[in-house]
Amino acid sequence: MPHHEFECSTTIPERKKHAVIKGAGEDLTSALPEGYLNTIPGSISERGCAYCGAKHVIGTPMKDVIHLSHGPVGCTYDTWQTKRYISDNENFQLKYTFATDMKEKNIVFGAEKMLKQNIIEAFKAFPQIKRMTLYQTCASALIGDDIGAVAQEVMEEMPEVDIFVCNSPGFKGPSQSGGHHTINIAWIKDKVGTVEPKITSDYVINYVGEYNIQGDEEIMHDYFKRMGIQVLSTFTGNGSYDDLRAMHGAHLNVLECARSAEYICNELRVRYGIPRLDIDGFGFEPLSDSLRKVGLFFGIEERAQKIIDEETARWKPELEWYKERLKGKKVCLWPGGSKLWHWAHVIHEEMGLDVVSVYTKFGHQQDMEKGIARCEEGTLAIDDPNELESVEAMLRLKPDVIFTGKRPGEVAKKIRVPYLNAHAYHNGPYKGYEGWVRFARDIYNAIYSPIHQLSLLDISKDEIPTDKGFATQMMFSDAALSEEAASASTQRQYTGKYDCVPDYMNKTYPDELKKKPVGAH
Amino acid sequence: MKDRIAQLEDYIMKHCLWQFHSRTWDRERQNEGVLGAATKILCDEPVANETREDRCYWVDAVCLAEAFENRYPWLHEMDTAEKKLLMQGLKERIDYTTITASLNKELTDHKY
Ligand code: SF4
Repeated sequence: MPHHEFECSTTIPERKKHAVIKGAGEDLTSALPEGYLNTIPGSISERGCAYCGAKHVIGTPMKDVIHLSHGPVGCTYDTWQTKRYISDNENFQLKYTFATDMKEKNIVFGAEKMLKQNIIEAFKAFPQIKRMTLYQTCASALIGDDIGAVAQEVMEEMPEVDIFVCNSPGFKGPSQSGGHHTINIAWIKDKVGTVEPKITSDYVINYVGEYNIQGDEEIMHDYFKRMGIQVLSTFTGNGSYDDLRAMHGAHLNVLECARSAEYICNELRVRYGIPRLDIDGFGFEPLSDSLRKVGLFFGIEERAQKIIDEETARWKPELEWYKERLKGKKVCLWPGGSKLWHWAHVIHEEMGLDVVSVYTKFGHQQDMEKGIARCEEGTLAIDDPNELESVEAMLRLKPDVIFTGKRPGEVAKKIRVPYLNAHAYHNGPYKGYEGWVRFARDIYNAIYSPIHQLSLLDISKDEIPTDKGFATQMMFSDAALSEEAASASTQRQYTGKYDCVPDYMNKTYPDELKKKPVGAH
Repeated sequence: MKDRIAQLEDYIMKHCLWQFHSRTWDRERQNEGVLGAATKILCDEPVANETREDRCYWVDAVCLAEAFENRYPWLHEMDTAEKKLLMQGLKERIDYTTITASLNKELTDHKY
């Protein structure tokens, strides 16, 4: 096994099994790091806790819900507003967060009474909201508060409300991924099948593992709706609580982030016979393949093809402009979980970037299988890295940009490596054809930012040029291009709007597409 | 033959996701379902696609067969028996990489 040992981690020998370099002739049977294990003591991990995984990643994108954490206010505060999963109800779920604010006295005397009072108060404060998700945290779990019983009591007293209980305290699993698992299984066990689906089309899907980061879900819904497909529920970005209780009514589960949501798809297949189709919403070719597959499933592949043709014609010239200027740039692809495989191959193919390293904070070996399979030779793959390892890797690999979360991102900036936020995005959406161009634009702006160029100079030792003034990205990016490439008339920069999402949200779609043509199967 | 199987395997690894479902039994089902249907499509044989489950394998198989035919011109020169042999070899290789020789320790977990 081609393990890689970091110099900074020689005192933690177990870490060696968590990094590999995919060498020549190597494949998954010889190069795969360990994954989804408890973080080794002494290694300062960048992971989140299982409560965060359940609440912040999966629960909270649900839009018409009061999300209440039973615990100290810090748990809630730290999982509030740092991920941009927007919604079409004025972002209720982002604007408000709720906590019981447990204190020492509650630890001594118990906090169930206070919890009940808080639930009722929250419903009274927002009378238009009748649904709640309730999260256990370490503190409330350790004192043994029975939050399920309290929720039941409230539901009996207030029959118009429904409460989902998520028993995923921070310590329930090695990372946030433990929380993804727990909430998936709890939702299918407790909530799916408790509401009758409202079917409005002959083609019905659940869109699963999609969190509407900066409008990803809106852009993908547009394609589905143009095909006449009803998205019965989205798990969970911009998703509605009651729609998600009716997931059992779909014909097909279209799965995007398998890391966080494959569990519910697997269970929906076993319990309700709904098949699971894994797709990629990122990148022109993977997205086109995905739309075709969904179209083929329903026998409406010509509708998918029409969208693919229209969108490719509209956006490809813009993607090409960026590709011309991004070719050969080195990237560390360091997201949380699924984007390491969603992006690994396609940013190389469609933007010309070279992925020199992939890492995952909370992915399992399955994610590394997918990611390493999609990488080129020589890529350094790291599981659950600590900060020192990340810095060592960056100093060794000298990437032009890294795609990661904001904590490691800020570390990267300190050593003069620009970063893009792979979780919450910079100027998303990144999904869809237009989104993919917006991603390319963000990468371009990150690499060629004049401010970044300036930061490469060290005033303590470098000579500071005083003869150079105003600079733009293009002055840097086009300096190395041939005149022909720089002025190619078939290419252009992004021409969409600053905020492209409202146009997708406000579209209307013809009803007749929802019905199967007479004679079709 | 080995080199051709490697080309097809590389395509699957870089472009597909169906081979990486969660558990051993899923991967066996997926590999059989998708590659079985793709073999039939490449050999112009009828493929069952009436049930939802079959249809889901079939859509992945249609796209896979199309991609193979577009990318690998040598496929057009093969007769049906050769194609079957090729696809059988590919199935063995994908089973090996994703199941029997896989280093993924979660494959044998008995629950999702
Ligand atoms: S680890 Fe426990 S205490 Fe810390 S944020 Fe998570 S739930 Fe709260």
